[in-house]
Amino acid sequence: MNDVTATVLVGVFGISGSLLMLFSALAMFRVRDALSRINVFSPATGLGMPLIVAAAYVYVLHTEGFAWITLLMAVGAFVCLIIVSSVASNTLSRSSVLSGQPVHRKTSPNRLAHPPAGVVDVDPDAPAAAEETGES
Amino acid sequence: MTVVVSICIFILAATIIVGLLRVLTAKDLGSRAIVSDLVYFSSIGILTMIGIQVSSSIVIDIIFLASMVGILATIALARILTRGLR
Repeated sequence: MNDVTATVLVGVFGISGSLLMLFSALAMFRVRDALSRINVFSPATGLGMPLIVAAAYVYVLHTEGFAWITLLMAVGAFVCLIIVSSVASNTLSRSSVLSGQPVHRKTSPNRLAHPPAGVVDVDPDAPAAAEETGES
Repeated sequence: MTVVVSICIFILAATIIVGLLRVLTAKDLGSRAIVSDLVYFSSIGILTMIGIQVSSSIVIDIIFLASMVGILATIALARILTRGLR
């Protein structure tokens, strides 16, 4: 791989990955609640960071040559970013809902606001019911 | 290569600044938690780009370890939001 090819590949991968991070940060201004912000953060970790990993791997391939351990670590970082960030976003959004963070009033459809049809709703403010849900 | 790396670092630094402005204007804790995640991943990107700039041989190692332990901060913030309950 010659110098120009390596620079162009690092530039394309690195700049597009960085731009995805920037656009995710800008999208956080356009949405109004924590759940939507967690949602618009997904492109940054799902595509932006793997592209930066690709840029770093192209650079290492250019300077040090091919090695299996480097390829294995790059693929590991790629897979870890996708899986780990998905699990982390899921956990954070679940705890965000459970801790009562406000949802924007124009969210539609908001199926978490009302219980599904046919389900007996227990008053969450009653102390006995709160302890019961806390234990389960 | 220097120009490309400088552009990337500039964009990622702008990302961190935009995220911190969002922390100033957002009042709910969930938004602040997810912005802290954004700042973490942006700083990992900046660290990777600095490693490329100085021709370091541990660029892949940095990003591999950081992507594996990146879940811990988010999980900790999620537990803090629910005050330790699951």
